[in-house]
Amino acid sequence: MSEIVENPHANCSLGGANATLTAIKRVIPIYHSGPGCCLQTTAGEASQGGVRLPYYVQYTALPCTNMTEKDVVLGAVEKLDRHVEAALEILDADAFFILTGCTAGIIGDDVQSVAKKYREKGAPVYAVNSAGFLGESCLGYEIALKALLDNIVDPAPKKRNPKLVNLFGVIPFHDPYWEGNLEEITRLLNLMGLKVNTFFSHDQGVKEIKTASSAVLNIIVSPWLLKGFAAEFEKRFGIPSLRHRCVPLGATETETFLRSVGEALSLQDKAEKVISAEEKYFYRYLETGIGVQNWRRFSVVGDASTVTAVTRFLANDMSFTPDGAIVTDAVFRPADRERITEALTKLTYSRPPEIFFTGDQWQINTALARFDQTMLLVASTNEHEFAMSRGLQFFVAAYPNSERLIYNRSLAGYRGALTFLEDIYSNL
Amino acid sequence: MKNTYSGIREQRRDTETYTDWGGDSFTAGENFPKRCLGRAERVFSQGLQCQQTNSVMALLSMEDAAFVLHSPVGCTGCCCMANDWFRVGQIHRGQYAMKNARVIVTNLDERDIILGGEEKLRKAIRLAHERYRPKVIFIFTSCSSGIIGDDVEAVVSEVSDEVSSVLVPIRCEGFKSKICASGYDAAFLAISKYILKDVEKGETEEDLLNLFAPPTVSYIDQVEIERILGDIGIRVNYIPFYSSLEKIRKIPNARASTAICKVFADEYMKELYEKYGIPYSHTIMPIGTRNTDKWLLGIAALFGKTAEAEQYIASEYQKVRHLVEDLRSKLQGKSVFITGGTGRSFAAAALIDDFGMKLVGIETPVYDNDTQGDIEYLNKLYGNFVVDIANMMPYEQVNLLNRLKPDVFIGVPVWAAKLGIPTTHVLDIKRPTMGYRNLAYLGSKILYQIENPGFNKNIAKHARLPYKKDWYEQDPFKYVKRS
Repeated sequence: MSEIVENPHANCSLGGANATLTAIKRVIPIYHSGPGCCLQTTAGEASQGGVRLPYYVQYTALPCTNMTEKDVVLGAVEKLDRHVEAALEILDADAFFILTGCTAGIIGDDVQSVAKKYREKGAPVYAVNSAGFLGESCLGYEIALKALLDNIVDPAPKKRNPKLVNLFGVIPFHDPYWEGNLEEITRLLNLMGLKVNTFFSHDQGVKEIKTASSAVLNIIVSPWLLKGFAAEFEKRFGIPSLRHRCVPLGATETETFLRSVGEALSLQDKAEKVISAEEKYFYRYLETGIGVQNWRRFSVVGDASTVTAVTRFLANDMSFTPDGAIVTDAVFRPADRERITEALTKLTYSRPPEIFFTGDQWQINTALARFDQTMLLVASTNEHEFAMSRGLQFFVAAYPNSERLIYNRSLAGYRGALTFLEDIYSNL
Repeated sequence: MKNTYSGIREQRRDTETYTDWGGDSFTAGENFPKRCLGRAERVFSQGLQCQQTNSVMALLSMEDAAFVLHSPVGCTGCCCMANDWFRVGQIHRGQYAMKNARVIVTNLDERDIILGGEEKLRKAIRLAHERYRPKVIFIFTSCSSGIIGDDVEAVVSEVSDEVSSVLVPIRCEGFKSKICASGYDAAFLAISKYILKDVEKGETEEDLLNLFAPPTVSYIDQVEIERILGDIGIRVNYIPFYSSLEKIRKIPNARASTAICKVFADEYMKELYEKYGIPYSHTIMPIGTRNTDKWLLGIAALFGKTAEAEQYIASEYQKVRHLVEDLRSKLQGKSVFITGGTGRSFAAAALIDDFGMKLVGIETPVYDNDTQGDIEYLNKLYGNFVVDIANMMPYEQVNLLNRLKPDVFIGVPVWAAKLGIPTTHVLDIKRPTMGYRNLAYLGSKILYQIENPGFNKNIAKHARLPYKKDWYEQDPFKYVKRS
């Protein structure tokens, strides 16, 4: 049930699925789509995250059937078959995912049987229905993760690895800070003696994804994503999920996060040790900023996790005052909206922000205009116009971002909080 | 662009059009005129660029305009890109309070695919009007809206009575063409049909030139182009690049037309000639001195200013001569491989001769009558070289580069850089490239990137291309099959 939207804050499910899969080492999507989808989705998803691109295949390097009118009329299963055959001949990958675009989705080409044919010959080819009309980027992420669960994750793990956890909820590229966020959360969990499957960062690939079924816990850092996925994981492998309401950012939130991981895995002592050492590091810096980092009223626009993380950090840790919190994800279910609202409302001392759910630019700007005392706007490039028209301090933290190159910077944990504070400092 | 032209480049009647072929330039130049180049198709390909992207890009910098995409949300990917150019373009023009392009997408979903999306389109157009009261609303179709058969024109004609904006539907369904430049034609067909349909030719403004420019021209290039033409007494009506409804309505009053890019408005200028008797010049992109000379002389002839232009060219050349000579002394003999859109590719191919460099291979998205002219010219300059009719096709590109081992690669650097080859580009949407004065920037960019290839040399030791080792040993055109 999608709505008409101005200057959207998401690409389509194909874009989300592609960005997710191309973030995995040595994984190659094969588009069964019209001739523009590779470029539209790369330009509209991956490159609107941290500006940079997936390392292995990107833009016009993505294999694609480039379906034309003839294919629309006659079907293009054979064409796809030849593309898969050739891809296997010349491309070096651990897994290939056929991704359908709208065109293939509408005409109903049977992509599953093409993939099956090659799998039966021993080639790692999988097919995913990811047509853009199914939904937005977040859905694409869920579709891709489900495809990994169905096809790559070892269905019958021999034994549990008591130290292994899976980390979910950070969407590659759609979260501009995804890789830095995964790095910082991994760093903290490593300090607790845990091994972390992120699936996406750095050298993780198919090998790590396979082992996901031998983990002891799924950690989901998102207020609403992956509910069905988590239930499925538990049903198949008995692995429970721990949901944290956002990517933990700053001392207050990260403390809660680490403590709940500690409780879930009976590692309370380790969690406390890490918290204590990290807080020492964090506050050693923070105390040198007393009277430097001035109070602000602020508003945040972005995906649910980023809006929650930034709002909670600035309110709980910095005593800034939240005005508006605008969630741009397409969240339809009332239960999900309640969950997000709760995450944004239950703050340590601070008054809560006013909360809006919309990805529509006009509605976002109208909502923001209500807060004439807001001084700092943490949002996406789309809100740069509004910020300039009001003379607001502005910082890009969310998709779409076409103005800030982001490699390993994070909006997570203790270290991400410090760099974020550096970024939003202003002496004006 | 006669009434019969569909806007699909493959269907043009006055030329053969090839999109899939690989071979050498002598064979191409010899066989194309005899109509025996050989129809072929790739049985393996990588992503193209769809025509909707080009339609959107062409128009997105128009002022007082709104843009409705009748599509699923993903088709706004090209708007993200074009919106970035637009925002940066405003800042370069000193408009620091920059605005977003007003893009409204109908966000077609599964339900709409089944039940149709016309009601949503109606709403989206009304919404664009209600929110911004734009003078013009461009409406773009998509693969999805095309396949489900939404009657966009009917919706437009119905809603046009309710709104003050001129409504311009553009038929740019991606699946209809493998040539993204078709999207430019689709945009101009729509401009002609919906904006200029009632516009009578007024009195000709004797010094006015319609200059059709795509959005890939930087502001500083715009300034340089205006300077050059202004110096010989020609005024410019830029369209549709940072233009307006008024400027489009002025099109019939110009004395002549030209374009900055060879595949931009080339068909439309034919229509303007047939309909209004406006002559046009169609030469080459003004990149480098000789290309700029050629481009300027083509225009000057239409204004009876050939002698003036020749004199001007000579004086401009004196100003940059030392630069060209310096570049030539340092770049002489370097071998070059070029890839890019048709306009830029062939402009670059001619440009490098100014510096004494040698073409060893070129990728062009299309081969048609126009390309044939370029190839004949380049064959005389460079002898036989590799021609790959491909919109990049990185798998063929890296195979060719690995074989040809050029000293320099000109084009999108993502793949060539990973092979350690020095890379540079003649396409810079935000920086200078064109005309005489900007040669200082363009020339030094080319020279300095070639003399200092450290980044590519280092990255090549670590970066990863997705191809198997033995692919580099195989025929680069293995998957181009005769049909």
